[in-house]
Amino acid sequence: MDSLSNTIIEALTLLFNGNAELWTIIGISFQISSTAILIASVPAVLIGFTLAYSNFFGRRLLISVFNTLLAVPAVVVGLTLYILLSRQGPLGEWHLLFTQTAMVLGQITLSFPILVAMSHSAFQSAEMRAWDTARTLSNNSISAFVIMLREVRFGLLGALLAGYGRIIAEVGASMMLGGNILHYTRNIPTAIALETSKGEFAQGIALGIILVLMAFLLTMILHYIQGRGMLAHGR
Amino acid sequence: MVDKPFNSLEFSHIKKSFGRGRQNKRILKDTHIHLKQGECTLLSGKNGSGKSTLMRTLAGLIKADSIAISFNEQLLDNKKAYSFIRQHVMYLYQEPYMFDGSVRRNLGYALVRKNTDKIKQALKWADLEHREDTEAKCLSGGEKQRLALAQAWLKQPSVLLLDEPTANMDKHAKIRTGKLFAEFKQRGTTLLIASHDLDHLLQVMDRRLILENGKLLEVEKE
Ligand SMILES: Nc1ncnc2c1ncn2[C@@H]1O[C@H](COP(=O)(O)OP(=O)(O)OP(=O)(O)O)[C@@H](O)[C@H]1O
Ligand SMILES: [Mg+2]
Repeated sequence: MDSLSNTIIEALTLLFNGNAELWTIIGISFQISSTAILIASVPAVLIGFTLAYSNFFGRRLLISVFNTLLAVPAVVVGLTLYILLSRQGPLGEWHLLFTQTAMVLGQITLSFPILVAMSHSAFQSAEMRAWDTARTLSNNSISAFVIMLREVRFGLLGALLAGYGRIIAEVGASMMLGGNILHYTRNIPTAIALETSKGEFAQGIALGIILVLMAFLLTMILHYIQGRGMLAHGR
Repeated sequence: MVDKPFNSLEFSHIKKSFGRGRQNKRILKDTHIHLKQGECTLLSGKNGSGKSTLMRTLAGLIKADSIAISFNEQLLDNKKAYSFIRQHVMYLYQEPYMFDGSVRRNLGYALVRKNTDKIKQALKWADLEHREDTEAKCLSGGEKQRLALAQAWLKQPSVLLLDEPTANMDKHAKIRTGKLFAEFKQRGTTLLIASHDLDHLLQVMDRRLILENGKLLEVEKE
């Protein structure tokens, strides 16, 4: 009991005294996940939009493919990219394995299906009449698209947050693709896994606190946004 | 050719069906319509006869199974026709969709460049000045229809297709809206109005078409 409370005090000390190693790890985590979300969101939102408002051959199939991809475990994504990027793999010449770029690629792959599925349902919630009206009012499809982006902004923001939630705490793919190198590819989840396996709990607990706070914050924002969305639609 | 002043727009061989196989329902069966500049046409027909389908096809919002479009007596290339229609023809829903935001913001969407004076004029024109800051989604059905008309007034299309524009209105509002139609006509806008309210439209109406069994028929004036 005594050692547990000591460990927790040690964890809080690490956090509040600005332990450099700890904050580097936190910084790497947020930097990699934010980059991944930024890159993934643009094509994902465009695909979600196309799935909602245009009727082409294979549309339904594509929707079920993205819904299936939602359920693919992170380690499988990690394994697949590992094989592609490893020295003997088809993309081995790029020398990307165990770099931040590899981690970003992994997180893009992981967040993409969620971003597509959720932006698809965001656009769909606005019904076809909205898109037709936007097209009738605007002179070109781009300004019509901008009107639609604003109309479903709460749903899209929800998609971004959900995508972020999926990758910020994910350990499997980050470990395999990044290699857990200190000051470079060690992020919050891989650091927790490592420290715990060494029996050093203080840093793990400190990082765990950050993740829990983060999850709490994301959920709060999501609730707030969904509340705003409902108000905006007069419900 | 496309930038020339608008004289007439002719749609021919319009075919449209919904559903596949056994559920296939032919709504428009090789019909045609000729719209002349400044003319007001009333479109009638039973519920489900395809009036809305016809208008949305003319506006390029749904794809016809076949259609040929001539502008000022010249046949348009199929690829050009679509963007041409989008520029010149505007369709207003029976229940207009309003976007999240104020009445003012929704009016602004009809303008390429923001112009506060024009928006004020449009508000006055549609008698919505007292509603400027209201959430557009919270307007009544009749007010939404007036707001949609004000958007059309700002956008200034050559052809305006109105789908039961007075359906949600009381008698007073119907008379007022009839006057707004007359103002569109004075401006030279071509109107096609689907409506069951003959009485309020007699003054602006030039001719009347009936959609029956997938074909448009001209009604002789009595
Ligand atoms: N997207 C669609 N898919 C399948 N059928 C449709 C679709 N849109 C319309 N229809 C069918 O086409 C027919 C014509 O519909 P439409 O809305 O054009 O009629 P309408 O003349 O405007 O009727 P109303 O007077 O009630 O407005 C109806 O039987 C309708 O069920
Ligand atoms: Mg109709």
